[in-house]
Amino acid sequence: MSTAVLAAPFQAVFDANSQEFSLAGVIRPRSVDEIAYSITEFRRAIDEARGVLYINVKRLAQMNNTAFHAFSRVVLDACRTRSDIRFVVVTSSVVGWTERMFRHLGKIEPQITVEVYDSKFYPGQSFVEDTSFIPILRAQTKMTWRHERTILPRHGMRPGIAMADICCGIGDFAVLAQKEFQPARIVALDHSKPSLAYARKVAAEFGVTGIEYTYGDASEMLLEDNQFDFVTCRHSLQIFNQPELLLKELYRIVKPGGRVYITNEKNSHCLGEPRAQSIQWTYNELARLLSHFEMDVELGPKSRRYLADAGFDDILVESFMITNLDGDPQDFADVIAGWEKMFAAMAARHGEAPEFIDRFRQGFRDHIFAALHPKGYAGWPIWAASGRKPL
Amino acid sequence: MNAAQRQPAEAKFEPLLQFEMEMGTFLSDWHHCDQLSNFMARMISHNRTDPVRHSNFFSSALNELLEVSFRGGSPEGRIGCSVFRQGPKERVELSFPCSPTQRRFFREAVARTHKGDAYARYLDAISTDLAPSREIVLLDLAINFDAEIRLEEDDPPSISIIVDLPLEGIVS
Repeated sequence: MSTAVLAAPFQAVFDANSQEFSLAGVIRPRSVDEIAYSITEFRRAIDEARGVLYINVKRLAQMNNTAFHAFSRVVLDACRTRSDIRFVVVTSSVVGWTERMFRHLGKIEPQITVEVYDSKFYPGQSFVEDTSFIPILRAQTKMTWRHERTILPRHGMRPGIAMADICCGIGDFAVLAQKEFQPARIVALDHSKPSLAYARKVAAEFGVTGIEYTYGDASEMLLEDNQFDFVTCRHSLQIFNQPELLLKELYRIVKPGGRVYITNEKNSHCLGEPRAQSIQWTYNELARLLSHFEMDVELGPKSRRYLADAGFDDILVESFMITNLDGDPQDFADVIAGWEKMFAAMAARHGEAPEFIDRFRQGFRDHIFAALHPKGYAGWPIWAASGRKPL
Repeated sequence: MNAAQRQPAEAKFEPLLQFEMEMGTFLSDWHHCDQLSNFMARMISHNRTDPVRHSNFFSSALNELLEVSFRGGSPEGRIGCSVFRQGPKERVELSFPCSPTQRRFFREAVARTHKGDAYARYLDAISTDLAPSREIVLLDLAINFDAEIRLEEDDPPSISIIVDLPLEGIVS
């Protein structure tokens, strides 16, 4: 059971099932009286809890000393009367001051511990954060951009807008978007510090200014509501274990009338000739393998449903095929070689047999063979979709 | 003379942004603290390494300072707030009119932020005080934001609280 205690600008919610009391938003009261109801609910949560009570402040954007003091007093008083209960304060690595403020409570009462929510953001994150994968990511963006630069205006991209690129990775799409479309503002957010460091380095080297790279959790962003005309989130819903949670946040930050643009794959539809059967087998297996890591790389055609379920209207969906004929076939081959390395590692991590991994690898090699063959054809399909936030 | 003009010559802090308003107007609505801190934070953070998180951190600190002036200031006169930058550090100069009693209080509270027992006082205040005092707010800035705080009283009845915040290093 969840009990919503107070609406905007902050929420205080107790989930009895998970014994979690969550504080979110901005809590800056002039006096404790303004938050008296939430304080009462917090006391009730403590009374109900057995063993451990989680105090989730991951989405707490701001809290003044008046509120901090009031909530702290409740938990400190409880420590003195309830030796049977532990308190775990869960802070975010994104909102730096929360960890700094709440950690003091543990110095006062050992029953209180502070945990920083960070690394296990989603199950497959460590694979996509591998910095050796950066050249592959750059090549992918170069290949998709040939198509997306003409697709994006149909979905709402235009000069002078405020845009956000959520899950921006190494930031190359934001740079291309800025050069091509000159938006008035670009915020590029990612949960990988190494990727953001790379993005900032590249931007500095190329004299690109004006892109606000920011570290953040895409499912719980610090960005305010209704800020952007256009929000992009490319190749990310498919690797995130809770895509609907991410879409909810994208919906929140886009302005009414603005659009959210997403791209995703359907990996089992990757194709090639010659050696079509081997290629087909590997990509079917790839989709199956990644589902074990809670990734849905078949999400592309489901984009319409996801956008509709998230509340968007005027939904547009189109697909495009990146092929070996788009540019230098070697670029295509290099990307597939990168996939082979990364996905073979994931197969090994999942405990697949060596014979399976050999056959699995062969499909990628056959895809490369098709891409580089003088009469061959190799393709990688992508679905681009967008929806409008109702006015 | 405004705060930017009073900036000491030896310091190499560059002025970024300032506002001034009638104290009576400022005191007319508690939400001015939240609104002004958010607006100024967003403006001055745009060219920091991580603008969104810098803005969040800076707003948190500035809001506490504005709340201090809201609770301790007098309605006559003007409030002024200037933000400067030197490398990874921002300096906030907050000037507002207050009574001699309040000036004495601020003098003592700022001095306590420099003492060796500041952290012990802070923990004690969290665990025993019934409500947060303005002293704990200044200790909070010193401890949680690594702030250096000093006071200038050369323009009575106003005082200026000067706070150096090395947030760029903390955020990035």
